[in-house]
Formats: sequence, structure tokens, C-alpha cells
Amino acid sequence: MTPFQLSVLEFSVAAPASVLTSGTALAYLRRVRLERPAIGTFNSRDIRVLFTFIVFLPFLYGLLPHWALTTFLSITFASALSIGLRPLLSPAMLWIVVGTLIGGSIWLNRTMLGTVWGWQLCWLEGDLMVLLAAVAISNLYVQGGMKFKHVAWFALILACYDLAFTTVLPVNSHLAEEFLGWPLDPSFGMRVGLYNATIGVGDLLVYSLFLIAAFKAYGRTAARIAMALIVVFGAVAVSVAPLVLDSFITARTDVAIPAQTLFGPAAFVAYLWMRRHYGRERTMQEFLASSDVVRPTGSPAAAPAPLPTPVPEPAAV
Amino acid sequence: MLETGIRQFRMAMGMVWGRKLDTANLARLVEDALATLAEFGEPGSDVQAVLDGPLADPDSRADFASRCLRRTARRLDAQSPFYSRRFAAAGIPAGKLDVETLRSIPVTVKRDLVDRQAEFLCADATRHLATRTTGTTGRPAEIWLSRYELDLLAGLGALAGILRDENRASDIVQVNVSSRATLSVHLTAAVSRLVGSGCRVLGIVPPDEALDSLTSGGVTLLATVPSYLAELVSAARRRGLGPADFQLRRIDGGGEVLSPSLAAAAQETFGVPRVTDVFAMTEVFPVTGRTCSARHLHHDVNMGLVELLDLETGEPAAPGALATVVITPYYPYRECMPIFRYDTRDVVRCLPEGTPDCEMAGIPATSLVLGKADHILRLSPTYVVTPRDLVEAVEALPSQPWPARFRAEAVDGRVRLSLPKSAVAGLGEAEAADHFARHGLDLDLALVPDAEASSLRQLRSDLHETTFVAAPALIGE
Repeated sequence: MTPFQLSVLEFSVAAPASVLTSGTALAYLRRVRLERPAIGTFNSRDIRVLFTFIVFLPFLYGLLPHWALTTFLSITFASALSIGLRPLLSPAMLWIVVGTLIGGSIWLNRTMLGTVWGWQLCWLEGDLMVLLAAVAISNLYVQGGMKFKHVAWFALILACYDLAFTTVLPVNSHLAEEFLGWPLDPSFGMRVGLYNATIGVGDLLVYSLFLIAAFKAYGRTAARIAMALIVVFGAVAVSVAPLVLDSFITARTDVAIPAQTLFGPAAFVAYLWMRRHYGRERTMQEFLASSDVVRPTGSPAAAPAPLPTPVPEPAAV
Repeated sequence: MLETGIRQFRMAMGMVWGRKLDTANLARLVEDALATLAEFGEPGSDVQAVLDGPLADPDSRADFASRCLRRTARRLDAQSPFYSRRFAAAGIPAGKLDVETLRSIPVTVKRDLVDRQAEFLCADATRHLATRTTGTTGRPAEIWLSRYELDLLAGLGALAGILRDENRASDIVQVNVSSRATLSVHLTAAVSRLVGSGCRVLGIVPPDEALDSLTSGGVTLLATVPSYLAELVSAARRRGLGPADFQLRRIDGGGEVLSPSLAAAAQETFGVPRVTDVFAMTEVFPVTGRTCSARHLHHDVNMGLVELLDLETGEPAAPGALATVVITPYYPYRECMPIFRYDTRDVVRCLPEGTPDCEMAGIPATSLVLGKADHILRLSPTYVVTPRDLVEAVEALPSQPWPARFRAEAVDGRVRLSLPKSAVAGLGEAEAADHFARHGLDLDLALVPDAEASSLRQLRSDLHETTFVAAPALIGE
């Protein structure tokens, strides 16, 4: 394939993946409420914890034997999918769907990779899982109190991380190659002929976070700007990069683009601009009270449950 | 969110394993709770489980209680000279106690605390603050607390207050309890510090001064005792003050009987939706009881064991019987001067069997506290008159004689109730008898001059504190 053809292939995966995942995350945010713990909201220290986890995760992937990796990914996907589907399905249906998706991925990848059509079927099934997982986790974080500010910083830090781990220490591209053809590949991808184009679940998660955090913080106009940035820097720029720099094309002619390196700075600048332009971010409480939330017709807002009587400290007897 | 989860996990593990809790971790959890409310406006949906614990099931409750009792007893056996001797005398290893064998350990009474205070101090704890009971029922007992206990109680109080929306950062709390009630005052101030709210400790000052502060200081919460609340209501009505003059959103009362008449008057005068009536005692802190809308007293089962013992037999009281409340606070909630099976002598009536029909149905409940055991008048096997019966009847008189001043005694099988003359002003003898009969009381009235009113019954509001504002000018005017 020529670099141009690779770009077209990458764009034909990255654009729908980015738009579909972040768009679904937005629709989910507007319609579905995830349970949250009694106490706790996302803060900057959580970003540090998350980042530390992300730094060590590729090494863990590299160290684990395939059977252990598949087990680990099964648990990870089952957790993510159950979080996202729990408000929508009955418990029995939830575990049937989760089990079918994970079991289906394992079965398809073990039996269907002999043909291009089989590969495509595997990718489609995997893409659905990746999309649902990214939607669930992005909503878990944002509905859990992650602010636009946190997302912007997270994206900026990931930009540096992605560059380092793609060029200086090419763990990510190595992993992308390693995962190919194995069950539960945490990537959204498609195969055309001999070539696979993918975009990682981490990238889709950041795009989804960026879109829904912008929407929650500042509303519809901010969301439109965010979506435009996702398309331009998350899909177009990523796809045309091989035309400019062939260093992102591996020996196997797979394209390994550090997507966050392109998207992170743009996302951060956009956040700074929006903060200057719109001011303080909305809290989750303000967002839920706004018309940006889709409420089921005819269902009145639930009145808060009365709390028990208070316990002051009275005087001694 | 992730680190909050870790903090909650650490705290939960401390509670499960019975280790001393990290109070700095608890203080950070309070900050997390404040951040949660700032973002979401309310805590998450499982807040009730966090507040009341997962102990709705009686079997789980009994198992939990036995484990906590053994843990508490083991420590007392090792550290408290008083209980080390007591357990040895009972012949039951502290580590083998459970809710059944517990009854072989005699109850601790207030006289033990007063006479042998030093023997209750644990060898491994450091004294920090002494607090005394107010002594309205006899010689005061002194309880020592460690810094750990104070930090722990403040943290737990702040966390519960925030999650129940009892305490907000925007609140200003006015404290009108005796300034000598150091535990109450200290904790209210410490909770305010953690929550970020304001705290104004006034004490039992002349009611007009307290009212001035309530009307001009942006006070939103009032913590006081019922007798002083009565004085505030009377003073406010005398000055023509009404709900529009106050910004109060809640009044917390405790330590004395709060009658429905006084509570309703306070609600009407100060414009608050409810006056809360709480059971708490210095000796048994932090075990408390909360009142529901059905006027049950729901006892905390997470931080201590509450036993209801029959007044006559000392055995577990039957449904419907009068009982004294015996409380054992668990370790690690008490450290410095813990007590075990403390007989509060506060009398309650056990509820009929079955789950109470109220918003706190999962938490064990009794009637409200009816009074001290020594003040119960037992006129026949079936006719018992409690201090609560009398307070509620007297405070419901049309003259609104708040706080109720009376003396009751059993004379020849009947109750003789001494009242100030003004209490029944405007009522004939028959009307007065009628009033008390409507409250289920068949009694003889004895009227005394109003000047003798305060000698009839001691109240916490009698512990008046002087101020320069209220004192008459002596010179220089």
C-alpha cells in the first residue's frame, strides 16, 4: 500500500471510530445515569493515579503470557461493559450480553481468522466491545465528577506519554502488533486485504472524555467545538501523518501513530480558550438541572428521599 | 474518586478489624464529602448504607455485636483496672463474651464512675480533655478523653452531618448549652471547623442576648437543651419575634424531655420545620439515639451495644415493658476511659414485637426516653407515671408554662403534683383535673407560689451564665 492508501485506510477507521464512540458517549451522558458512590468525586490526584496505571499497563501487557493477558482483558472488559449496561439491562440480560461479547471475541479469534471476511467479523465484534467500554468508562469518570479541566490535563500528559512510548520506547506499537489476531484486542479496527488499521481504546476513551466533559462543562456549542477537534486532530491529522512522516510506518507497514501527541495539545488549548470564554465549568448538579439532559417524557423528577433526623451533640446528663 | 475509595476502604477495614481509625484519613474523607456535595449537590445513592451501616438483619447484628464486644472486652481486660477485676470476678474470659454470656458481667453504674474514676482510665491512653456531666441528677461524673477520641468523634460527626445535610459550610451554629459541657461544646466547634461552617458558643446566657444573636448573626442552626429552648420561645414571643426574624433551618435539642407542645411552639416561633430530639450522654458517647417521625428512639448499633433491661428483674425486657437503657460503646470508638455495660438509668418502653413502621425501620427502636428510673412513679402494677407524661401534660397547659416546673410524688397511691400557681392560671380546679385526665393522668394538684417554681425541678437552663451586657452597671454611670 502507498502512504496515501494507508492514510485513507486509517481515516476510514479513525473517523467513524472517533465520531461514533464519542457521539454514543454523549448520547449516553444525556440519557443514562450511572450509580456513583456515596462519597467521592474525581480530582486531580485521581488523574495521577490513572496516569501511573497507564504507564505501567503496557509493561504488564508485555510481561503476561497470552492466557493471562486474555483473562486480564476479559475481567477488564466485563467490568467496563457491566458498568455501562447495568442501568439499561436486567441483571440476567446484562451478564448474557457481556458473556456473549467476551466469549464471542475469544471464539471468533480462535476460529475465524483464516479469511479476510473472518478478520472483518472479528474486528466488528471487537469494535462493538471497545466502543461500549469507552462509552461506559468515559461516562463513569465524567458522571463521577471528572471535570473538563482534568480531561484537558490528562490529554496533554498523554500527548507526551504517547510520543515517548511510540518513538523513544516503542512499547505501544509493539503491543499493537502483539495484540493483532488475539482475542479482546483493546483496539477499534478493520481489515482491508492484508492490511489492518486500528485506533486504540485509550484514544477513543480520551476523545469521548473530551467531548462529554466539554458538553457537561459548557453545553452544546462547546461540544460542537470539541467534536470538530476530535475529527480534525483525532482522525484527520492521525490519518494524514504518514503522508508527512514515514517514521510512523513500521516494517510490517502497519501505521503506528501517537494519536494523543496530535490531539492532546489541541485539546488543552481548546480547554484554555473555553475557560477564558465561558468561565467556570458547570458542576454535575448544574448540568443535571439543565435542559441538556434528556428526561423521559411524562416522568416527573424524583423527589429526594427524606434523610433521617440529625444527630447533634447535646449537653451531658 | 479513586483515592476517596481507598480512604473509605481503609476506614471500613479499621472498623471491621477493630483497629484504631486514622483520624487524618477521616478528616480527608470529610473534605471528600464536601467536594462531593459541591459537585453533585447530594451524596450518592448508597449513602444510607454508609450512615446506618449494613446491620438491618438481626442475625448479622448479633454476630457483629458479639465480635465487637469481645474486642472491646479484651482491651478493657488488658488496660482498664476496673474492668480487669470485674471480668476476673465474673469468671468469663473477655475473649469469649457474646451477647448471651454478657449478662454475667454486672452493669456499671454512675456511682462507680464517680467513686472510682481513676480505675476506669486505660493504661495505654493519654488524657487530653476532661468533661463532666452537668450533675442535675446528682454528683457529676468526670470523663477523660484522649486526643484520638476527640478527633475521631469530630470526624465521624462531621461526616454524618454533611451526608445527612445537617451541616453545611454555609451554616452558622449557635450553641446554647452550658459552657461547662466541654465535650458538647468542643465537638460542635470541631465539627464546624471540619465542615467549614461558623460556630458561635454562647452558653446559657440571658435569653434576650441569645435572641439578639439569632436575629442578627445569620445563625442557621441552634443547638440547645429543651428547658433553655423554652426560655427562648417565651422571650421571642414576648418581644413579638416570628419566623421572619430568624434564618434558622434546624434546632437540635437533647439532654432533657422535649414535649410536643414546646417543639410545636419552637417550630412556629422560629420557623423551622422540626426540632430534633436526640438521645446522648457524656458517659456513653459516641453511642446516640435518633428520633423518627413516629416518635421512636432509634439506637445506634454501629458504635455500641444497646441493651434494654427490665427495671424490676434486670433481665432483657419484654415487648411493651419499661426498661433501663444499658450501653457498651465499642473499641475503637472509646479509648481513654471506656465503660462496659453502663446503666444509664434512662427509662424507655420496649416497642411491641415487629418492625417499627417509620422511615428508620431497619434500626432497632424503643419509645422516647421517659425519664430517669428513680423518677418513675409506680402507683400500681399497671399504673406508672413517668417524668415524660408529666412534662408533656404540664407543658400542654393553656398558660404555656415553659419550661415545666413541677414536683411529683406518690402519696397514698395517688400522684401529688406540685405546680406554680401561674401554670394553671385561668383554669378552675375541674378544668385543670380535666386537662391532666386527657393526658392519662389522675392526680392531685398542689399549687405553690411562683417564686418557688425553680425549686420544684432542676433544669439545665438553671445553669445561667452571667455576662457584662446583662449585669447591672455598678459604678461610673
